[in-house]
Amino acid sequence: MEFSIPKEDLDFKESVYRFGLRDLAPASQKIEYDDNEEFILENWKKMGNFGLLGLPYPEKYGGSGASVLATTLAGEALGYAGVDAGLMLSWGAHMILCGVPIWQLGTEAQKQKYLPKLASGEWIGGLGLTEPNAGSDAAGIQTTAVKKGDRYILNGSKMFITNGPTGNVFVVAAVTDKSKKAFGISAFIVEKGTKGFSHGKKLSKLGVRTSPTSELIFEDCEVPEENLLGDPDFGFANVIKLTLEWERSCLVAPAIGGLELGLKKAIEYAKQRKQFGRPIIKFQAVRHKIADLKMNLEAVRQIVYKVAWLKDKDIPAMMEASAAKLFVSEIMEKMSSEVLQIFGGYGFIKEYLVERGYRDSRLASIGGGTSEIQRGIIARSIMNF
Amino acid sequence: MDFELTDDQKKLKESFASMCAKEIAPRAEFIDREAVFPKESIRLLGKAGFLGMGFPEEYGGSPGDPIIKAVLGEELAKACASTYLSAGASAGLFSIPVLKFGTQDQKKKYLPDVLSGEKIGALAITEPGAGSDVLGMKTHAGKKGKSWVINGSKTFITNGPVADYYVVVAYTDKEKKRDGISLLIVEKGTKGFSTGKPFDKLGVRGSPTSDLFFDECEVPEENLLGEINNGFFELAQTLTNGRIGMAVYSLGIAQACLEESMNYAQERTAFGKKLAYFQDIHFKIADMKMYIDVGRELIYKAAWMLSQDDPQTILFASIAKLFISEHATEIASDAVQIFGGYGFMKGYKVERLYRDAKLGEIGEGTSEIQRAIITKLVEDQY
Repeated sequence: MEFSIPKEDLDFKESVYRFGLRDLAPASQKIEYDDNEEFILENWKKMGNFGLLGLPYPEKYGGSGASVLATTLAGEALGYAGVDAGLMLSWGAHMILCGVPIWQLGTEAQKQKYLPKLASGEWIGGLGLTEPNAGSDAAGIQTTAVKKGDRYILNGSKMFITNGPTGNVFVVAAVTDKSKKAFGISAFIVEKGTKGFSHGKKLSKLGVRTSPTSELIFEDCEVPEENLLGDPDFGFANVIKLTLEWERSCLVAPAIGGLELGLKKAIEYAKQRKQFGRPIIKFQAVRHKIADLKMNLEAVRQIVYKVAWLKDKDIPAMMEASAAKLFVSEIMEKMSSEVLQIFGGYGFIKEYLVERGYRDSRLASIGGGTSEIQRGIIARSIMNF
Repeated sequence: MDFELTDDQKKLKESFASMCAKEIAPRAEFIDREAVFPKESIRLLGKAGFLGMGFPEEYGGSPGDPIIKAVLGEELAKACASTYLSAGASAGLFSIPVLKFGTQDQKKKYLPDVLSGEKIGALAITEPGAGSDVLGMKTHAGKKGKSWVINGSKTFITNGPVADYYVVVAYTDKEKKRDGISLLIVEKGTKGFSTGKPFDKLGVRGSPTSDLFFDECEVPEENLLGEINNGFFELAQTLTNGRIGMAVYSLGIAQACLEESMNYAQERTAFGKKLAYFQDIHFKIADMKMYIDVGRELIYKAAWMLSQDDPQTILFASIAKLFISEHATEIASDAVQIFGGYGFMKGYKVERLYRDAKLGEIGEGTSEIQRAIITKLVEDQY
């Protein structure tokens, strides 16, 4: 066992942190974007220029060939720099949920067509999986794709799609053979502007409001057959397998940084805020909240790095990824509440962004499979019932 | 980075685990019920090389680093928390200061017998009026000719009633506070030294605990361990070992709870289904698994840092201990809940685990003390 992080990865993390702090944080910390539910496009472009939007893809497709660990560290660095959680969510949906399946399952032509555009940030990507009546119960998917000549005709709708209103390209799951249930679902690449494809209006949300979410609507949407991603009937199962482990490591990485930022802000605030004649950091009730923040930060870090390491080694990590996601999301919710508590009334108003952190944290135990789904996965991986 | 055990470590873990399951676990219920010290098990652990792991061969030690100690320690604590605790107090709390600060004569005299399990060691810090607040202790050692004369008392001393050797913490210059504390080795049978009767405890009942009394207790001057008046700092250097050790104690108990719960939930049926089928049950088990896996990683990290002499080890040892000990008591409570009425009955392992778990939050510094340490170490990092 050896827990040191390679120096080049630490240097990379540091450079991403400095970039985030200097170039992204100023806009990210304007509460107007959150109030207006506005995606910060200028930050997105900057991330693309810095090479952060296609980190794990091979260089020949415009990526950086980064390891899962390096990708995770980049996410952590951006979270710690104070980049809005909405932008980070869009980053994950784009780079991981849309880009990784194309990179891993796509044909050479598909990779050449989409990955460079995703990596540069010229295009925004998303994954269309969840439907109004089917979330983690993917076998309940109702969107269909019927082969007709050299194209597939898609009908149905997708719900809660991150980057829905802004996305240029989506990986979409649709049933191609209903009799085969979960193994009769194919994956398609659908571009914005395709006939019969539209998105619903932007959904108004509790948190991560700077990441646009909407419905995707397919009405006799005609997708060329070369846009089938992976094997027919089986593409979707592969997309799931691929994205879930990635999603549950890299996608939660910004939360680690967010947690450390919360710890830092809590300490700074508690040192300068005086009550009863002394800084509140002198009170045990505050001190011990800070201890819990630090403890959980290190716990979260260790468990997410482990999933990243397992993925880099190509060791199957479904259970570990689920446990990490479950742990991180539940901790985020509890700890963002503790940070807010330390800030008291100031935590409840928008100015300090602690309020936004509290709202943003709530998504973690819902998106990417609820905590309940994760518990089911963990239990089934260690017991028969 | 490497999160995996080596093949050798895995093999060692397996063979040690099977020894614990065969030789130690079967006695756990009895020694708990009757509050009997498992002397034979300690000898066995000595013979198996567990007690001496990480100590030089010349003192009866065998190769081993903090990580493998944690790996095997979990297996022992899982089999029997009492045995683990007494073994740790003897081979860890007593022996590590002797190794680190002892003279050649002291090491040769005490370590081989303790590491073989023939003799038992203990460390005496806590007093009736002073636990983690070490400076509040009253025990005093005064120089008289070529001897030290100790007066005072200690309490909650693991192995107190059964130990042969004790490292005793005492003021040698009370005025100087932390710069006036020294460590002394006291042997059983020394005039003026006596032990109280074993305390009747909630858990770890097979690991005897008692008061120690020093009434004009005279030990030869060569029994001073380490430097005079430097005991506070010497102690601080060994506390990290103890905290990681206590974290492993909680980890083993939690893992035992998980395994018991998994087995029971897959055997027992209710309403025509396995218990495990019900979400309320399998979600509890999923949480156990999650917290245990996180806690284990934190322990391995702290142990690895210790092996690297990382100055932040003290912080990570506290983090690991705080995390796993608090979750272990919750996990033990959930395990009892899953067993229902059976979980409440003596003779069921989870009933004992539930009682044993609580010590994890108290021994080697309470959770409150760990939080105080963590904040103190982190508040100026930002």
